[in-house]
Amino acid sequence: MPQRDVEISISKSGEVKVHIKGYKGKACTKLGAFLAEVVGKVKSQQLTSEYYEPEEKAAIRVEQKQGK
Amino acid sequence: MSAVLILTPLIVGGGWTAISAAAAGAAVALGLTVRSAAKEEIAEAEQEEKVAARNSVEVEVKNSEVLENVRTEQQIVLQGKEGVEVRVKRDARGRCVVCASGMGKTKAELRAFAERFTERMTQCFVYNRVMTELKAKGFQVMSEERAKDETVNIRVRQWEG
Repeated sequence: MPQRDVEISISKSGEVKVHIKGYKGKACTKLGAFLAEVVGKVKSQQLTSEYYEPEEKAAIRVEQKQGK
Repeated sequence: MSAVLILTPLIVGGGWTAISAAAAGAAVALGLTVRSAAKEEIAEAEQEEKVAARNSVEVEVKNSEVLENVRTEQQIVLQGKEGVEVRVKRDARGRCVVCASGMGKTKAELRAFAERFTERMTQCFVYNRVMTELKAKGFQVMSEERAKDETVNIRVRQWEG
């Protein structure tokens, strides 16, 4: 089961640094937007290489062979 | 890594209850005790202040907005060990303000204390909001510590299932 970590630092003045780990693409953007709404407003944002990796998708392929 | 965000806090939402909780957290951290929030005692304290000619300073909590339904006389009064009194209230413009007063204290000392209290109250407000929302989303707290520079470092985890 994949785990997702978030490191949060709240400075003494209340400024918040959020480090989102293990999220890719839209899932990362969604969590970032959620936290920004909770805290206040975004001062800066830096996306890392993992952000651009494709999102994990699970698929099951079922095939049925027809007998004559 | 996925993303790193720097967020600026806004002290809005949650109304007076959220601000009271944050003020109580800051009070504990700075060794203050809740004196009273009752209207009569606040009026009495204000009268005492006028008679004793105590120094007083007011600091506005940055980016704060208290709900309009909070009355201006609704305050939190906190008492410090060295005769410093702190009041948290809503001003006429709807902003949250911290007022520090005390006998034998200079305005500079009171301003420094009010600013320190304001910072700690903002930190408590943000902490309460973030932790409440993340727990509601199913995050679990893995570690939490307060650094020497008073920064609170928290690591939370969510398992995708």
